[in-house]
Amino acid sequence: MIASANEVTGLAAKAARGAGAGPQQAMEFGRAALCHLSEGRDIADIRAALNALPEGPICALPLAFMALTEQAQGDRADEVISSEGYGDLALSYAQAQVFKVDAVKVHAGVKVCLTLNVPQSLPKVARVQLSDDLAQILGTLAARTFVPESEASRRAGAGAGLTDND
Amino acid sequence: MKDEVIPPQTALRLPDEVMRLSRMGSMFPTRLSFLRSLTRRLAAEQVSVSRPVWQMDEAGFGHAVYQLTLGGHIYSLVAVSTDLPAELRTDRVIATAWDSAYVLYDGVPTVDEVERIVATAPKQEAARFTQRDLVLSRANKSVRLFAHVVDALRAGHQPDHDMIRDVGYLMRTTAVYGNGKFGIADRHLIEDRPGLDGPFAAEMLTVWLIRHFTHDLVEHVGGAPLDIALKRHLGIGNSTGLGMAPFLVNHPVLLNNWMMVRETALARVRALDKLDVATQERLWALAERAAQHLEQWNVPDADHQARIIALRADWKRLCGELDFSTAHPIDAAMKHARQYALDAQELLAALVIEPFGDLVDGLTECMGDPTDGFAGGVRDTEALRDLITTHCDWALSPDYNSAAGCGQFWYVSEAKQEPRLGLRFEEDGADKESPLDIARRINALHLDLKDCDLPLSQFLGTWPEHALAVARVQMLARYPYAEIRDNLIATSCLPIDMLRCKLSFFGASKFDPKSDRWTRITLCQGAPLADDLSTDADDWWLPVFAA
Repeated sequence: MIASANEVTGLAAKAARGAGAGPQQAMEFGRAALCHLSEGRDIADIRAALNALPEGPICALPLAFMALTEQAQGDRADEVISSEGYGDLALSYAQAQVFKVDAVKVHAGVKVCLTLNVPQSLPKVARVQLSDDLAQILGTLAARTFVPESEASRRAGAGAGLTDND
Repeated sequence: MKDEVIPPQTALRLPDEVMRLSRMGSMFPTRLSFLRSLTRRLAAEQVSVSRPVWQMDEAGFGHAVYQLTLGGHIYSLVAVSTDLPAELRTDRVIATAWDSAYVLYDGVPTVDEVERIVATAPKQEAARFTQRDLVLSRANKSVRLFAHVVDALRAGHQPDHDMIRDVGYLMRTTAVYGNGKFGIADRHLIEDRPGLDGPFAAEMLTVWLIRHFTHDLVEHVGGAPLDIALKRHLGIGNSTGLGMAPFLVNHPVLLNNWMMVRETALARVRALDKLDVATQERLWALAERAAQHLEQWNVPDADHQARIIALRADWKRLCGELDFSTAHPIDAAMKHARQYALDAQELLAALVIEPFGDLVDGLTECMGDPTDGFAGGVRDTEALRDLITTHCDWALSPDYNSAAGCGQFWYVSEAKQEPRLGLRFEEDGADKESPLDIARRINALHLDLKDCDLPLSQFLGTWPEHALAVARVQMLARYPYAEIRDNLIATSCLPIDMLRCKLSFFGASKFDPKSDRWTRITLCQGAPLADDLSTDADDWWLPVFAA
């Protein structure tokens, strides 16, 4: 499946929610997933992260970056984040931060250099290739966040009756 | 263009005043609205709309392609008109067929591309689209008006003026999708293009072109042209439900920037120490137009009609008490209006901005979010407590444990992922509640922060459920207008207030609520036509039907 960037971040975030992540953690995972997939990194990292919920990198990596900002001297921080068991996900989370992060893989993990007063946007990718397998996994998890249809909710939940018309 | 010298301004109205649902639900469109910005741009570039393809049968079914160049880029609207059985016509998101479907295409579509869009656009969410497809939309005919106009034109005369005035549109869009949905292009691919750099600019361009198509379609089927004045009054209707409401909560930086631009514009005009006679006369003329607009704004819902009637009376009385010849006349007017209901206050706020394009139009360049929600972080729980104390007392007072305090919940239905609002103590689904309960979350965060003295990362390691609230509180230090300062899960919460706020920024008027969570509106009513883009085509705030 060829998807837009917005579809990938949204679907990945919903999948994380469906797998048990909190909304903020899910949103950050959605951003990281876009970076991960657009860079062609191993989708096994994505699957493993979702499978690890309610623990694992989706919970741990945001805290790791937050801890770095707390240790920053002024607006800069340099540190190595352990990526053991996370594959390349730490790199993807670095790319997904809203402030500038320069990141490179090293033996012990990912060496990051944060510049907290400089904004950073997500990569402006045009299309993302989602394997059928991954799309299926994400879609199944995301569906856990939807409320099954009932006649009452169908009639009243949106506020328009069944056939708004004029 | 950025201001070279920042004009004087009074203090902005505070978020505690402005970011309340009741006031947001009283907003009116202004010259800062996205449609107004677009049509000014179209007029400034003297954009010309062509129609290279018109393949419609006599009954008006088939397809058409419109083209224009804006900011150096060519855009095409591919419009597909389908013979829809009446029993299938519905504005709900759960609809599966529509009278018409549209794609705003990036460039000039080849014959194959047109064929692709003709096949897929009518399927809407059930199809996949490409990065050349910028916007996807659909529209249904006004059952009341479309047939009447066709019949009138076929009979050799113009349609009934009262019906044109009262309905105000031939078709009604029921969704206008942008930013990557269903595979269409992400906004970031076009956000730097001149003319499409404003919020929802591509969507507004699509709606404006759809309006043009509806005029062409009815003239084609009717076999005769419509009077220009009638065409100008025929905008595009829109049916909006809850789908739009979560946007304001999920895009706090955009909401902040829209509100801040409007409040800054208001603060600039309030700082003017005196007005020349021409400007005073212009304000009076606009006030009179607003009064006439209110007279022509009638809706079937009894409660809302009563509100409009009350506003008419308030407006007449308020205008009788204002004097724009005094010192600081606009500031004085806004202060005087505080004794009136919110509708009158917000109508005045929209009026007083209107004559001052030179002073305020440049602010529209600040309505986007170029930094992707960039906000400084706090490092420990003490700093976070301080932020809550400074910015979030509105979230700490409701009783979220009472039935009234949490009686509603937002959720997404399995059926086409339609956003809905449920009653917590009467319906299933609250276990899958959408996280729009920001106030409750901030309150819960505040309770668990008590007596904590930790780095924030450690606090969230113990209480990960507070991560969203932490992010939202941190944001308020930089974006003071980012939060709706009300309890969005209270039984008293009226989602229609959120819809009206967003729609007013689009440039919508003639709000016609069908319930407290669904409304019809009209877009582009009074807007310049495609062959009417003169440089003085910007004077269509609160249009009045004068034919």
